[in-house]
Amino acid sequence: MKLRDIGIIYRKEMKDTLRDRRALISMIVVPILLMPLLTIGIGVLSAEIVGRAMEEIPKVMILGGADSPNITAELRAQSDMLVVPAGSDYAQQIEDKRIRAAVEIPPDFDASLAAGTPSTVTVYDYEGDLKSGIAADRLQKFFGDLRDRTVRDHLAAQRLPDALIHPFEIREQNVVSREKVTGAMVGGIVPYFVILLCLTGAIYPAIDLTAGEKERGTMETILSSPVSRTDLVFGKFLTVLTASLATAFLAVLSMAVSFGIGKGLLMSLTDAGQGNDFTLTINPGSVAAVFAMVLPLAVLFSAALLAIALCAKSYKEAQSYLQPLTIIVVVPGIVSLLPGVDLNARLALIPILNTSLVSKEILMGTYHWHYIALIFISSCVYAAAALTVAVRLFEREDVLFRT
Amino acid sequence: MPNSPLISVRDLSKNFRSAHRREGLWGGIVNLFHREYRTVEAVSKISFEIEPGEMVGYIGPNGAGKSTTIKMLTGILVPSSGEMVSNGFVPWRERTAYVRTIGVVFGQRTQLWWDIAVIESLKLLRRIYDVSQRDFDERIETFDQILGLRDYLNTPVRKLSLGERMRCDLAAALLHNPPLLFLDEPTIGLDVVAKDHIRHFLRAINQRYRTTVLLTTHDLDDIEELCRRIMIIDHGRLLYDGPLALLKQKLLRTKQVKFALRDKEQLPQLAAIEREGLKLERVDELTWRISFDRTRVSTADLIRQILGTVEIRDLLIEDEPIEELIKRIYAGEALHEVNI
Repeated sequence: MKLRDIGIIYRKEMKDTLRDRRALISMIVVPILLMPLLTIGIGVLSAEIVGRAMEEIPKVMILGGADSPNITAELRAQSDMLVVPAGSDYAQQIEDKRIRAAVEIPPDFDASLAAGTPSTVTVYDYEGDLKSGIAADRLQKFFGDLRDRTVRDHLAAQRLPDALIHPFEIREQNVVSREKVTGAMVGGIVPYFVILLCLTGAIYPAIDLTAGEKERGTMETILSSPVSRTDLVFGKFLTVLTASLATAFLAVLSMAVSFGIGKGLLMSLTDAGQGNDFTLTINPGSVAAVFAMVLPLAVLFSAALLAIALCAKSYKEAQSYLQPLTIIVVVPGIVSLLPGVDLNARLALIPILNTSLVSKEILMGTYHWHYIALIFISSCVYAAAALTVAVRLFEREDVLFRT
Repeated sequence: MPNSPLISVRDLSKNFRSAHRREGLWGGIVNLFHREYRTVEAVSKISFEIEPGEMVGYIGPNGAGKSTTIKMLTGILVPSSGEMVSNGFVPWRERTAYVRTIGVVFGQRTQLWWDIAVIESLKLLRRIYDVSQRDFDERIETFDQILGLRDYLNTPVRKLSLGERMRCDLAAALLHNPPLLFLDEPTIGLDVVAKDHIRHFLRAINQRYRTTVLLTTHDLDDIEELCRRIMIIDHGRLLYDGPLALLKQKLLRTKQVKFALRDKEQLPQLAAIEREGLKLERVDELTWRISFDRTRVSTADLIRQILGTVEIRDLLIEDEPIEELIKRIYAGEALHEVNI
């Protein structure tokens, strides 16, 4: 193995790759645009949608209540909902989104309120629908307030203190750092995208340097140069690895920037009470540690992609081999996002999943050193195996000159 | 080592395993699960030697085994059996050392990078082949004299015409001054002027540096203008290896005499020329052609007979075109007719 020859091949392939538009798009444009789109774009969009839904005055229907004029009058007087005439097809109307919710008032409701006899008010809604949910919430709030007021009146009538309704308060207090909160909230997503982009950034260069070279017919010319085949593979491999890491790095950089911008934007869009609580903190040290963990995985991806793409005869064939890989990588990524999936010795040996899980922990500020070592070493072993396969394949005539 | 061959090939064979594909949609599905492989003998027990300074044409129809031979000679492919020593190396065993002593041009592909200036590629090759800066400058100067490179050294390869690109590829292949040059279809797709440039250059480097050249081609003008010796391969077997002149002398049996009659009054006399072994054909009203077997009919006798029978304005004697001969060889007719 000659470092000088590897260097020459590397420089040649890098120059070639930087002129391949497809590689440039997946390596630079996608990570830079994808991250702001995912964070700011989706954040702004959802804030916008929720904001609009909140502004809408929902139509609601009162079922029954003819003998309880006080309540129906009070409901009709509410400014944050519009009472429409009742109909027996209320369920259908909710389903068709002509009205957002309906409330059924039991017979003699006014009277039972005054008498203090128990009764049930039913709210009908479209579960899972945002606007119907808002209407149902407003109805619930109205009746909740009514219930409190009724209790308070009864207490006052018997000369008992208000505090009887709330004999004590319940308070929730977070004890972990903001960093851990962020880790728990977005810790899974960050490594997931870094890993996925490590793969997508490597796909085009890997195809171009193998099947692409076969298709252009330049494989023979490079094979007839005095560069050994092993050096050739390493030169090509380093090029693919560079593309893979550059993609991941740009993604993280762009994510950091868009979190910064996105935070401000989201705060200005969501209401202030929520906004104060919404602070995402990612420690740059943790991000660097995640990168270190992703490195052997990027090596694995680069070598595997190179080996697989080399088996293809043409660009198109290589693409159809490599596209399913994206799905294979997505699955362990999603598994790592599932709640309750925590790192253990067995999961630490499953490639991709182990890196996702450990990265999540690192971003939360937790360092399980024995797992980190196990994962790093196992990933290195997988990477070395893939690289060995790639080198071996380059020695095989039936792979290089498949007809 | 005086008088020892530069390339020595003995019983060289190369087999490929190729998948037999079934036809149709169902066949395609079956292919996915069960493949039948066939062994194809691309090159079968060929033997030859090439002396230093020779220019040898290597011809054969598509799929005959030409490129496979070149790939084995350049160390890209490992032979299935047989022996080969080229330039003192066994190509596939000492490949990286060996390829420093050879130049290779594949006519349909380029070793130059598509998007960058030619000079950049040449500089990179200078580093790969460890050529000193002085030698590099000197050779670029020489190539410029013969090929006229200067004008497009700073142009990206993709903007060059095929002919210009081929000149640059030749310069790239010869940058490290190899004594041995392999050319796989160097003139394919080039126009007449570009072909002429390339041939001129090959002749020049052969004469100036005594560079040994083995070239495959489909263009027989390449062979006629450059090579004294040809090797013909078909179905992986070497059918002929010898001087082009001998092949012509032995196999070009048919000659043609084309003549133009002075006027229409000569037409009735034509019948008197006709006899066995001659084929008389009309080209246009006054132009006629006689094809004959030169082993049975003397050209001089025939011409004398024509001149004595009819009055003519013009007369032309032609050999059978070499393409026709090669076609006959590929069709399996010619070679066993004579004992070569």
